[in-house]
Amino acid sequence: MRCGGDIEARQVDETAINIDPIQVGGRLTADAMKAVIAYGDGYSVCDNCRKPFRLDYIKKPPIADFHADLASWLEMDSCRVVPGARRGFQAVCQALVKRGDPVILTALSHYTEFLGVESAGGVPREIPKDERNHITPDAAAETIERVIRTDGKTPALLFVEGVDYQFGNHHDIRGIAKVAHSYDIPVLYNGAYTVGILPVSGRDLGVDFVIGSGHKSMAAPAPSGLLATTEEYAEKIFATTAVKGDQTGRTFGIKEVAMMGCTLMGVTIMGMMASFPHVKERVLQWDEELRKGKIIIDALTSIEGTKILSDMPREHTLTRIDTRESFDRVAETHKKRGFYFTSALGKRGIAGVIPGATKVWKFNTYGMTAGQAEYTAGVFLDIATENGLAVNE
Amino acid sequence: MSQRATDALFQSLFLLTDIRVMLRETAPLHQLSAEEKETAGKLLKSVRRQVDILEEELI
Repeated sequence: MRCGGDIEARQVDETAINIDPIQVGGRLTADAMKAVIAYGDGYSVCDNCRKPFRLDYIKKPPIADFHADLASWLEMDSCRVVPGARRGFQAVCQALVKRGDPVILTALSHYTEFLGVESAGGVPREIPKDERNHITPDAAAETIERVIRTDGKTPALLFVEGVDYQFGNHHDIRGIAKVAHSYDIPVLYNGAYTVGILPVSGRDLGVDFVIGSGHKSMAAPAPSGLLATTEEYAEKIFATTAVKGDQTGRTFGIKEVAMMGCTLMGVTIMGMMASFPHVKERVLQWDEELRKGKIIIDALTSIEGTKILSDMPREHTLTRIDTRESFDRVAETHKKRGFYFTSALGKRGIAGVIPGATKVWKFNTYGMTAGQAEYTAGVFLDIATENGLAVNE
Repeated sequence: MSQRATDALFQSLFLLTDIRVMLRETAPLHQLSAEEKETAGKLLKSVRRQVDILEEELI
């Protein structure tokens, strides 16, 4: 079935249970899909844009209110929507980082955090992870001291991930923020895997910036995200234009430089807005998501040789798993080699595992129904027994 | 301009979207419970009503 031309209609989530580690939190709610139908045209939110001509001032649809609601929901003072968390990283770096400034990242930082630093000419310096794959306040303190000693400068900014993309582990954000602030280093909280799926309060975490991803965790179309900050930094991050055309004398009102004026001008913000009431509700159901995830984790760990590399018990639905001593052993002699596994999953209606992966891989159980969790658990057990792997009762 | 036809068009797309979500929530087997079947039946009936309006207005 085609959408038009050579574009095939994507039906992954209608025909299968998707456990793709990066996709599940960004799947649209019914209301967001309806908003996509109604607001798919380019500048669809601009019909009623009036002076001062800026996205976050638009009252119809209620985009101005949405901005205020986002800030208060995250317990921060100001918020802007951005085209993905990465553009939030970039905006903060452009405001705070000067060429040659060291910036603290972590051994578990996403590549876009590095690119954000690079875009501002900063120099990335990583906090190492410990043997449990955690970023700790002590390691943050040691890294800051090392950087001050070797670079001769206090870092301009510290990035830390609420939940990292590699293991889905939580880190001690409050402790790390406290350490950074004792050196007057502002803290950017990367909430790409938290904002929109579990409760987040910037105030409680004690951070200066909260960045979220619409398409990763807020049931919104890509690219979308948010950048929230405190009163202390809002003016600097959201500085308005001051330039003037030398021939025409034109000026550009109150457009914000780091935002490049307006950001999400159509279907992205409307999808994000339509999902928002559901997102506010679903973060309160986080424990239920963990319970459903546990059904699958229990099944996988009952397969002999299978190890969970993420923290146990799981406190997030994104999990890194090592199946070198289970599913990969089958791959060694299987005629399809490593592809037998994803092929068997696909035949049973499970999608989202990288084709051929049987060694170390990731999956995310977020958003499935309890019935789908039971079914998925059963599929892993079926594939194991079918291929002669021992399953412990 | 037929506001009625336009409303019927959007309403039918929205109702079909609710069915799409139902497909997602019951994937991959799409074995609907009695309650889900009842909901699906109501949605389909409503879609038919909207399609009837479109026919009345446009043809």
